[in-house]
Amino acid sequence: MKRSTQIGLAAAGVVLVATYWSLSGGETDDSLIYNNLSECRAANQLSASQCEQRFNEASANHLRDAKKFTSSASCEQEYGASGCQSATWNNAQVFIPALAGIMLARQFMSGGGAAQPLLPPTSSACPPGTRQPGSGRPECEQPARSSSSSSSGGYYGGSSSRSRAYTTTTGQAMVARNISSTGMASTPSVASRGGFGSSSRSYSSSSSS
Amino acid sequence: MQRLRVAPRKDWQAEVERLGFAYHTLDGETYWDESVAYAFSLREIEEGIEAPTSEIEGLCFAFVERALKDEEILRRLAIPETQWGLIRDSWQRGDRNLYGRLDLAYDGKGPAKLLEYNADTPTSLFEAAVVQWDWLEQAMARGAISRGCDQFNSLHERLIAAFGGLRNPKPERMHFTCVQGSFEDKGTVDYLIDCASQAGIDARFTFIEEIGLLADGRFCDGASLPIEMLFKLYPWEWLFHEQYASALAGARCQFVEPPWKALVSSKGLLPYLWEMAPGHPNLLPAYFEGDPRCAELGANHVRKPLYSREGANVTLVEGGAVRDSDDGPYGAEGFILQATAMLPNFDGNYPVLGSWLVASQPCGLGVREDTTPITKNTSRFVPHFIEP
Repeated sequence: MKRSTQIGLAAAGVVLVATYWSLSGGETDDSLIYNNLSECRAANQLSASQCEQRFNEASANHLRDAKKFTSSASCEQEYGASGCQSATWNNAQVFIPALAGIMLARQFMSGGGAAQPLLPPTSSACPPGTRQPGSGRPECEQPARSSSSSSSGGYYGGSSSRSRAYTTTTGQAMVARNISSTGMASTPSVASRGGFGSSSRSYSSSSSS
Repeated sequence: MQRLRVAPRKDWQAEVERLGFAYHTLDGETYWDESVAYAFSLREIEEGIEAPTSEIEGLCFAFVERALKDEEILRRLAIPETQWGLIRDSWQRGDRNLYGRLDLAYDGKGPAKLLEYNADTPTSLFEAAVVQWDWLEQAMARGAISRGCDQFNSLHERLIAAFGGLRNPKPERMHFTCVQGSFEDKGTVDYLIDCASQAGIDARFTFIEEIGLLADGRFCDGASLPIEMLFKLYPWEWLFHEQYASALAGARCQFVEPPWKALVSSKGLLPYLWEMAPGHPNLLPAYFEGDPRCAELGANHVRKPLYSREGANVTLVEGGAVRDSDDGPYGAEGFILQATAMLPNFDGNYPVLGSWLVASQPCGLGVREDTTPITKNTSRFVPHFIEP
């Protein structure tokens, strides 16, 4: 085939694509990630009903596939404090890692393709000491869990961190980098402005061919 | 190669607008024209267009090598001496290029002939990469063309991949710029921003008129954020002559397209290619105006300014008389004369094939046709497909 296999178009001016790489610094992949339903809606890349559908699917798959714990403590030992949620499975109360978000492969953005559930980072990837601000591991920082979030909603609150650690369903540690929230560093003063663009005024409005 | 009538989608305007294609109609005239389509065989695409495109790109690289060692060529191309260092450095560093478009005359029978190389600021990208791709999928789905068709068009995938490879490691942030007031330019830049974002780059837009200069010599965007990497849909020959030209070399900025593209985006490339590969089947004889060898071209030739866009100031001379010309503001840097490759005439329509390269790899085709033999900015973009 001599044409592209898939074409995805993000809304112009809204940067929603995150880059992923493993904590060990391995391969990169381009994917979309939404931490909760409202983030998905706000991103405006999927329709509101698509967002809901993807989260519902991911949530159902997550409940089915997630490792089940009989106590909150044993779950939190593996996934960190506030990294777990209670759930009902086969008529029994269990504890499973919280649904920290969903990941969509870039090539599935416009079409079908199931969303992959994302779990909180494990304690081996983010030891307890790294989960507070200022630990030097911003991706491990754990924002307070929002009380309003449902089981299909967010695990994370409104962290301003540019990167976040997760665990995939296959147990792989990964860090998502949110490139849409670049902080502005202090910059040198502007010496002048408007030194480009004069030629186009003397030709026509179009500078291309 | 055939020109076929294909029924347009009933709501084609809405269909292309759904993709974000805002300039399907320009000044009241249809620009995106899906009432016709060009059909190619796979062999025509691969042997007639793809392979020659790759070969010409190779010749262009050889020309850049040569020009950088020859001051006479740099002068002939009207490159300001103050910018020679910037160009040379960008080539020696191996600054990556993103894209370019060869304009070819091709009728499916004889070899494609290079008309010119839009190496610096090519447009008609979004319609080639996305709009005609979507048209093809829908045309097959609704049975307007047979289901096994294909298209020479992996532009979208290649662009995303190319953005990731512009620098190693991959750039974190990149700025994109064009002039204010051009829908077409802004549309092209918006699309490239989309591609860059999908490659994981923090892509920022700023109009070229907003760019400022910081006290430390770097350029900055409208929000005063330093520009470290800049895609500019704005020609090098203009940047070289504007107020900030003297700041280019010290700006610590990686430009896309890189400065060395200035050497191959000039029509002055064409006489040198012919000199380097005389008789090449995909090249037309070409000489600088005033060169005695112009006489070899005879009474039929095309006169083109070194720098011009969208057909401006191009004159078609036939039998010593002007057959078609387009007025415009270009020509101060000189002209070249090129043998005429008559565009094939399909029922009074003259198609020019835009053969796209991304990161120097041929990967797509866009056909524009006009009702005159000089393709101008009034030409219509028509989709193409490869027959099964």
